[in-house]
Amino acid sequence: MLSIRNISKRKSETTILDRITFDAPENTITGVIGPNGAGKSTLLRTIAGFENPDEGAVLFQDAALLSFKVKKQLFSYMPEYLELYPEYSVDEFITFIHRASGFSDANLLKALGLDKVLSKKVRHLSKGYKQRLKLYFALCNKKPIVILDEPFDGFDPIQLLEILQLIKREREAGRTFLISIHQLSDAEKICDHYVLLDEGRIVATGDKESLRRKFGIADASLERIFIEALK
Amino acid sequence: MNPLTALIMKELKDLFFSKTALLLSLAICFIFGYSFYSAVSLYGTASSSAVNNPLYAAGFEPVPGVFVPTFGGLFLIFSLLLPFLFIRLLSLERKQNTLELLLQLPFSLGEIMAAKALAAILFILFIVFMSIPALLLWTSWGGRLPLEELTVLAGGYFAYGVLILSISLFSSAVFSAASASIFALMVIISSWLVDFGKEMNISSLMLVLSGWTFTKNMKYFEEGIFSLKALSYFAVLSALFFFSAYYFLRFDLRKKWRPISVIVVLGAVLMIIASLVSFNRDVTESRRNSFPQHLAESLGKIKTMKVEIYLEKTDSRFRDYENSFLKRLAIVRDDVESTMATGDRLKSNYGLFVYTVNGKSETTYSTSEEEIFGIIFDLAGIIIGRTPERAHYRGYPLVTSERQQAAVIFVYFLVLPLVILIAFGSKRVRSTRRSK
Repeated sequence: MLSIRNISKRKSETTILDRITFDAPENTITGVIGPNGAGKSTLLRTIAGFENPDEGAVLFQDAALLSFKVKKQLFSYMPEYLELYPEYSVDEFITFIHRASGFSDANLLKALGLDKVLSKKVRHLSKGYKQRLKLYFALCNKKPIVILDEPFDGFDPIQLLEILQLIKREREAGRTFLISIHQLSDAEKICDHYVLLDEGRIVATGDKESLRRKFGIADASLERIFIEALK
Repeated sequence: MNPLTALIMKELKDLFFSKTALLLSLAICFIFGYSFYSAVSLYGTASSSAVNNPLYAAGFEPVPGVFVPTFGGLFLIFSLLLPFLFIRLLSLERKQNTLELLLQLPFSLGEIMAAKALAAILFILFIVFMSIPALLLWTSWGGRLPLEELTVLAGGYFAYGVLILSISLFSSAVFSAASASIFALMVIISSWLVDFGKEMNISSLMLVLSGWTFTKNMKYFEEGIFSLKALSYFAVLSALFFFSAYYFLRFDLRKKWRPISVIVVLGAVLMIIASLVSFNRDVTESRRNSFPQHLAESLGKIKTMKVEIYLEKTDSRFRDYENSFLKRLAIVRDDVESTMATGDRLKSNYGLFVYTVNGKSETTYSTSEEEIFGIIFDLAGIIIGRTPERAHYRGYPLVTSERQQAAVIFVYFLVLPLVILIAFGSKRVRSTRRSK
């Protein structure tokens, strides 16, 4: 289990994250949702080790992950903004990742449809394919915990369904996902657990049923729960 | 393939096959070629009256006459263009967020920066090696190549290139691309401003600072002096900027200012130590920066030596004396104490020089080298014989034909640019074909 304990982060006088505590159970998909500026990206960057929290800790199997070196063994992180080398062809990029890390996954490449665009330069790819390539980087390494920051931007509804299926298959294969999503309808299709963030604070956590019970609104959609939580 | 090799290959490809590197390489060809062509033409014209006149010929030295002006073009390129190329190394990774991608691969930040630095160092070597066609042309015309002096000259430019690299890495670690370029140029130009301030006698602070400028330290290499002090200066300053950049990028450190402060303090201490290093060696064949070997050896036998000068520092006689004697003496012996007389003593003895050798003193108003050495060796009890024949530099004038000069244009304006363009183009085509 991935446990986040009391993580706080301040920049100047502004509190970006305020004592964030939640658990992301193994083999589940935990969605971090919230309005723009809620602190989703900062939270994921902090968990991945690219930002230092002012307080708090990230634990895996009850052991605190203190150094970036340890975190990078466990976490695969895909930042929201990542402009993969535009002058590289898809093949060059994949070859570099393979040579540098030893990881390659032909099935994943095919599942993401990247085998059809190998010769294309990254800068010539559509936004959806750029996202697929980023997902390939995040998934090909087989690290147990995958942290994805807004991975579904740029996909049309059919492509999105394919990607959601792919992520679910990876979960079945034993990986744990922590995903920030701003489209609540997308989150509802894939997440097992939710962390609702607003202004750097957790307003609610749990699976959909427990959230419905908490706010006393049976059969409510995630959107409705979210609105209630923000009230 | 070893992961680190894959990283180095990536950095080499990113740097050498970037459009910026292509444009810079072509610019270097043209500037280098033009500088060499101008220098060869001037040297050839002046040589025509010296080939049959041994006395006049002695003033013709290929390195200061041809190769220092040729490399001079590189100084501008290194200072004003190279930062733009090197800043891209880090600023693009930062802008694209790919630094975070690289850090998730089995590389540490230190390894990533070292791979970038290695690629850049190879690019600096590539630029310096662009002088090889010029050297080959020169020897094919029968020109003299003083290898030791040329190595020191090329080594100086290499050291300067490495300093520019570390300034660029530091700028791009701290600022975004545009601001980083401005910062790097500011650092470089400030150094020039200090030189300018010194020449214009703006303040005594400029005089002190001028000893620490890039140009001042490059001068040693251009003049054919292997100076450990200048070498240490470039090494310490480069390390200071490089490690500061490294710690600035360490996102996992809560208080980056701590290691950076330690580096700055350590750098300052090392710079002071480097300034005390006084190992200088005149590597010129003519020994124009020091004295002929037999005189230098005799000067080395003297136990203590002191010079008291009764001239104002602003007096042109003092400047001549300083350049023609004191600076050359300092290359041979760095422990000679020279003092400037002041007050009434200066007024009553104006123009006098007092030499004290092994405790015995003698005075003279002459600044002639022959007179000075006569006094010094008399006081030391050392007998100097006639100057050996080999001590006289014979000089190497070289008249070049228009056809030979045209070969320079052919090589640097056509052949080399074509080779570079073909290499650049074929690499791109190869990578596209491989992908297909």
